[in-house]
Amino acid sequence: MDALAHDPVEGAAAPAHARPQLDLELINIRKRYGDFTAVDGVSLKVSKGQFVCLLGPSGCGKTTTLRCIAGLEEPDGGDVLIGGKEATRDPPWQRDIAMMFQDFALFPHMTVAKQVGFGLEMLKKPRAEIAQRVQHILKSFEIDGLADRKPASLSGGQRQRVALARAMITEPRILLLDEPIGALDYSLRETVMLELKLLQQRTGISFIWVTHDQNEAFSLGDLVVVMNHARIEQQGPPEEILQRPATAFVAGFVQGNNVFRGRVKEVLAGMLRIETPVGMFLVPWVAPPPMLGSEVSFSVRAEQLTDALSERHVNRLSAVCTAVEYFGAVRRHVFERSDGEVLKYDQFGAHAARIVPGQRTVLGWPAEAAVLHAGAGQ
Amino acid sequence: MSTIRIRSPASYWLAVPAAAWMLGVVVVPIVLLVWVSFWGGRAFSTASPLTFDNYARFFANQTYLKLALSTIVHTATLMAVTGVLGYCIAYFLVMKVRSPGWRLALFLAFVVPFWTSTLIRAIAWVPFLGVNGVINQTLMFVGATQSPIEAFLYSRTGITMAQVSLYTMLAAGPVVYMLNAIAPQLREAAMTLKATPFTVFRRIVFPLTLPGVVIGQVLVFLNVMSDFATVATIGGNKHALLSNLVLLFYEGSQIRAASVVAVLLMICMLVGVVIALRVVDIRRLGAER
Repeated sequence: MDALAHDPVEGAAAPAHARPQLDLELINIRKRYGDFTAVDGVSLKVSKGQFVCLLGPSGCGKTTTLRCIAGLEEPDGGDVLIGGKEATRDPPWQRDIAMMFQDFALFPHMTVAKQVGFGLEMLKKPRAEIAQRVQHILKSFEIDGLADRKPASLSGGQRQRVALARAMITEPRILLLDEPIGALDYSLRETVMLELKLLQQRTGISFIWVTHDQNEAFSLGDLVVVMNHARIEQQGPPEEILQRPATAFVAGFVQGNNVFRGRVKEVLAGMLRIETPVGMFLVPWVAPPPMLGSEVSFSVRAEQLTDALSERHVNRLSAVCTAVEYFGAVRRHVFERSDGEVLKYDQFGAHAARIVPGQRTVLGWPAEAAVLHAGAGQ
Repeated sequence: MSTIRIRSPASYWLAVPAAAWMLGVVVVPIVLLVWVSFWGGRAFSTASPLTFDNYARFFANQTYLKLALSTIVHTATLMAVTGVLGYCIAYFLVMKVRSPGWRLALFLAFVVPFWTSTLIRAIAWVPFLGVNGVINQTLMFVGATQSPIEAFLYSRTGITMAQVSLYTMLAAGPVVYMLNAIAPQLREAAMTLKATPFTVFRRIVFPLTLPGVVIGQVLVFLNVMSDFATVATIGGNKHALLSNLVLLFYEGSQIRAASVVAVLLMICMLVGVVIALRVVDIRRLGAER
């Protein structure tokens, strides 16, 4: 906001109408490698100090998107705006970003202090200032005891801190993180995640975090971007993606959804009657309603199902329980539907178990618990 | 028994064949060489008294000392030329050639000549460098010179040209290996830390390939110091280095003088290798990452 107040000429690249300055804007990014499309029409807006998670299966284009932002790949089409300035053709060393790599990419021949100070050295800062800032950041990351060590003698967690300190010390506008905790022990991840989230909030640097782990994405991201096959399937806050998956892919990728595919049989006031291989179901529609007879998909979250049925639960389905998993907070029942697909039903963990494996049960859910997906039910 | 423990009897027995071989063809001859170089008197027999006379005679002769100096200068020149050229070739092969097919083809083109012996490759240079050789004919054809240049064959220039072609791959090979071992992310990380490509090379790539450079330099150093064949073929009998002096003395049946020069040559090489080892600990390569 304050950035727009002064120097209106400088902002000529971005439209002049009043809007908060974005840290990053991607406009229709495309990238191909030969016949393989890695990124296809990706657009994204990151406002100041946002924590964005790019989530998707491997090969979905999330890392390529990150590399386009870093300048390590040049997109075939589209624009990258960093802090409102066109940066699509800028080399990495001219962009206001820093990046943390999956395996940390520490320089094996430099001591911890030397490589943490590398970014400041590149900015031609005076020696005394570099030494003082390195000392300060090492202290705040609790690795000041390692200043004279080389990366080969560090543990995974220590390397992660060094890599983070090295990237953060120049105080970039955006920090790009490529699976930053994927190389850590599982027990360390939760602590490190919390630390990183707090660090991000304290510094106000925008984080763009690439991951295939939905726990990471949903617990960290202010904005979660779900990608598949080089495209963005859905972007929004975690609640929205969890509660209202936009496509069948998102519903299937996010844990705890039951996905149904079928054909529109009847369009009622606010409701669709959908015929699926396992029965007829009522699903609310949002404008515009799909055509009669068109193929659609919808999903119901596992915790929305119940076996204690009342007349609210208009959608019903009979299935055989194959397994029960107890997680403490929830008790997950895995059922086999008559079409061979899996149906998941989560019961509040504190309630007594009612269903045993092998038992046939009728499960139901209220019509408004189902979420209709956009696009044809692919 | 699945593994052989260190210092177990089996491990010693396994080392016996190699140790016996090394003793027979390396250690014993060198000891003999050193011994013979101290023989005094006139008779060539094991009963000779041991003196420093042979060495004193060598160091008293200005011609020999000049020869030793020019051997060192010549070797240093070759190390510099092959070092720069080899690094450029290695960098090009690893960093610039993207297609694996091309890389293999170019690599083979560089390596295949090494399947012939050094002597043959040295002799092969003669028709190139001669007065009516390929280089002169080409230069005259394109009009770069009116009369053939005689400086190529039987000259220091010719020897240097031939040896550069013979030994550049020795300098390039270890660098190729080291460059291949550098993860691309290291260069990318440096770039995102605002390092320009030249700085990335100076601060990241070159320091990480330094052990390869040193090993290459050691190989070139040892080969050039001991190469008498190229000098003899291309240099005719106008030019000689220390190694040719050994041959000269040997052919003149001056075995004691020959062994003096051989011992001095070996000392030079040892000193060179020791200096290289001080720069880079070759034995610890690979353990680094």
